[in-house]
Amino acid sequence: MRLVLLMLVAWVTILTEGAASEKRLGVRAPRGSKWWSLANLGELSHDLRAPVKKLYNNPSLLPLTKRQRRLVTRNPGTVMAVVNGARMAIDECKHQFRNRRWNCPTKFESHRRSIFGKILQKGCRETAFVYSITSAAVAYSVARSCAEGGISTCSCDNRVHQRPAGEDWEWSGCSDNARFGHKFSRKFVDILEKGRDFRYMINLHNNEVGRVHVTNSLEKRCKCHGMSGSCTIKTCWMELPKFRGIGARLKDRFDGASQVLPGNGGMRNRKENSVRGRGRRRRRFNFSPANTMHKRPGRRDLVYFEDSPSFCDRDSSLGLGGTKGRECNQSSLGVDGCDLMCCGRGFTTEQYTVQDRCQCIFEWCCTVKCKMCTFNRTRSTCL
Amino acid sequence: MAGVVLETLGNKKLSILIISLLLVLAAFFLVGGLVSPAPNNVIATTAINCVDSEKLWPLGTSQPFLPRGKKKCSSIGDLHKDKVIIDEELGPNQIVFSQMIPLVRDNTQLSMSRWFQNLIGVVDLDIEFSSKNPYSEEKSPKMVLDARLYGRFKHETDDDWKLIAAAQEQRTLECAIENDNREEGASYNCDLLPLFELGSVYYDFYLINICLPVRERNIYNVNIGRLSELKVIFIHQNGGFTKVWFSMKTVMFPMVLAALCWFWNRVISQERSTNLTERTLFSLGIILSVMNCPVEWLTLAFNLPFMVLLNDIRDGAFYAMLLSFWIIFVGEHMLDQIERNKLSAYWKHLTVVLLACLSLLIFEMCERGRQLVNPFFSIWSSEVGSVAAFTFIIVASIAACVYFLFLCYLVFKVFRNISTKRSSLLHMSTFRRKYYSGLIFRFKFLMIVTLLCAALTVIFFILGQVSEGEWKWGDEDINIEYTSAFLTGVYGMWNVYVMALLALYAPSHKHFTTGDDDNSDTLSQEEEVQLTQVPSTSASEGSNLASFMAKTAAD
Repeated sequence: MRLVLLMLVAWVTILTEGAASEKRLGVRAPRGSKWWSLANLGELSHDLRAPVKKLYNNPSLLPLTKRQRRLVTRNPGTVMAVVNGARMAIDECKHQFRNRRWNCPTKFESHRRSIFGKILQKGCRETAFVYSITSAAVAYSVARSCAEGGISTCSCDNRVHQRPAGEDWEWSGCSDNARFGHKFSRKFVDILEKGRDFRYMINLHNNEVGRVHVTNSLEKRCKCHGMSGSCTIKTCWMELPKFRGIGARLKDRFDGASQVLPGNGGMRNRKENSVRGRGRRRRRFNFSPANTMHKRPGRRDLVYFEDSPSFCDRDSSLGLGGTKGRECNQSSLGVDGCDLMCCGRGFTTEQYTVQDRCQCIFEWCCTVKCKMCTFNRTRSTCL
Repeated sequence: MAGVVLETLGNKKLSILIISLLLVLAAFFLVGGLVSPAPNNVIATTAINCVDSEKLWPLGTSQPFLPRGKKKCSSIGDLHKDKVIIDEELGPNQIVFSQMIPLVRDNTQLSMSRWFQNLIGVVDLDIEFSSKNPYSEEKSPKMVLDARLYGRFKHETDDDWKLIAAAQEQRTLECAIENDNREEGASYNCDLLPLFELGSVYYDFYLINICLPVRERNIYNVNIGRLSELKVIFIHQNGGFTKVWFSMKTVMFPMVLAALCWFWNRVISQERSTNLTERTLFSLGIILSVMNCPVEWLTLAFNLPFMVLLNDIRDGAFYAMLLSFWIIFVGEHMLDQIERNKLSAYWKHLTVVLLACLSLLIFEMCERGRQLVNPFFSIWSSEVGSVAAFTFIIVASIAACVYFLFLCYLVFKVFRNISTKRSSLLHMSTFRRKYYSGLIFRFKFLMIVTLLCAALTVIFFILGQVSEGEWKWGDEDINIEYTSAFLTGVYGMWNVYVMALLALYAPSHKHFTTGDDDNSDTLSQEEEVQLTQVPSTSASEGSNLASFMAKTAAD
């Protein structure tokens, strides 16, 4: 009992310290966002591999916190995976939101600021999506890198027999890679969410949502190889699908995200967790939905607590450009249609000529042999 | 009363025997389910896209492309967007997909073990939907995989990779995509492409290099769409399963052999010529012993890639013998007055069994046998080959159907005979009644046991399939390996089955004590009774018996 009390006290002091440091930071970019700028490592230089290798040799150059750096040093090869993950997350975010007013704008200027901009200071749906997709992308990318053999510390835990690693491998092989990706992502991404406020809980929850979607979207593949190739012996394994699928699932959750009220439901839970080793295990928060008619958000539901801005007009406090000058689809009635996209301000339509590739000969990979042709095209842009 | 052991055994002894056999069977099942791991393990890998900038691959003399280590090849991450592609103007012929197994886990380089027994490689292509570079959906595109498989021992270095096999193999790529999913970057669901099958895991490390060459004026690898990654999946038997399996074989082999010797000793000591049922049972025992013989231990020391083929042939021979045994046993218990007791009487039935097994054997030799020479070979990849393979399988399945019709017909006839005999059984003389009731009992016992075994096999199989379907990721408390339990259970069951038959259908000793002081006439009649159909020693005796039978039938 005394031990528990002692731990509680320690936990509380850590929390207050965290809060104090947060106050000192003021309105800086939210914690936990610096690593996203890893995504532009490759863009900065011409060759893809060289700088990363240099950085990998000297992880202190990376835009990571001390604990993240330690984690990355302890798991050689994960830097590449995290870089890839950050890039995948940005690509996927841009793809899923290409037709919306908020089209996932990113800035690659400085290491200091979060590349997703100040939208992360809000607690809206878009923020939830960004957190979940980045966390999912790290889990995915690490798992994929394990399958490539790029990370030497991927675990070989086999859940049935508890034996030493080498012996276990010979006896019953290794489990799949998604588990390691999930664990790594939890350690790497969640480590940054320190604090005791509501935003902290929301972010942790949304991070977990992203990872859960990776785990749940594993696809089962099977191969029959019994006598004479018959199905008396069938071996199955779980395979990572394309990240596009995971992005689409998260986009669906974005559309159905639930707004929650800052309550003390989560606090009670966290105290329990803090007793059990700082709540590193699966954290579950009890969020109460803003609309009491809705059901409580589950493990797969994104949550947010602030309404999104309209994204129509320029908002320098949030670093939003507005939809002025955005291309829109004249014939569409959806969000990409000119009425909704331009927020009723109207649009201009112009004809223009453009040189583009045509009559290309495609192969399954690599260079594409094309001719250049001139096209006449129409485009509508918001005023 | 004399006859086989089964008839002379008291009810108590019989039930003890049956219960102990059932316990042995349960033990087999539990060993498979609790001790053994899943029979196979999967190493699911994504291939590294190595770049062959100097175009060495087509020359065939190049060093292997290594996915990692000190001599790692230069590689690209994305097959379409990587900057190196534009800078060096790479073409598809310069991409070599490479992967080495096993992977590094928990900071240790694992190594393959000879306990793994066999290795299967499968390729899974990830094709993206792209409206500009579509996958040809009307006609499944033909692919050529130019693949090389290397092996290396632990103590060797990266310079010592030995080429195990190299081949250009043709495959057909079958992919599909749902209509509402047709969006740039969405992926097709593609069938797995079989790559290779190795009958032995002799080396410690294996390395696979695959090239998908595109040549001008060539129809291969053209309309396959936009490839985003290539996954190579390796499947091997688990070491733990092999250990359990070997131990079972090593234990069963001497036991069945001992039962077999005892049985044949019994038959010989009867001092008469053997009858067909005994001879069939004896050959069933021999073939089971051949199947049990644990020659697989040799694979731990030598490179024996033919072991998989040999095992399949041994299994096949056992099942063929078992099918023949059922036909002969049922035929010999027909309870009619026709003299059989020779193989030629069953030529129709046995031809069917032989035909089925022969066509499966030819198919097996074409597939597995050819794979001894070229592990990348697959009979299904060429059109002629797949037609031939289908023909063999269809012939085999037709023959199997005909066989079961035959068997059911024979069993039906026996039961009809039993019911007609039963009504007249009371009017018979004591010794004829015993003769017939003995036959009926033996037959019914075998029928029940056989049906039980067949039913158990089916139930185990279904259990295995169902548990496979319910398997889900993240389930912490899977503790029974149904597939292993199915395999060990079925193996143990047929062993127990044959052993029980050898023990229970051996001629009984008891008539030596009772029959010694009988007069010669009773003795000869006794002999007629003991065994299903004793070969007539002389024509007169045979006709004697026939007239005797006719008389009782008239009664």
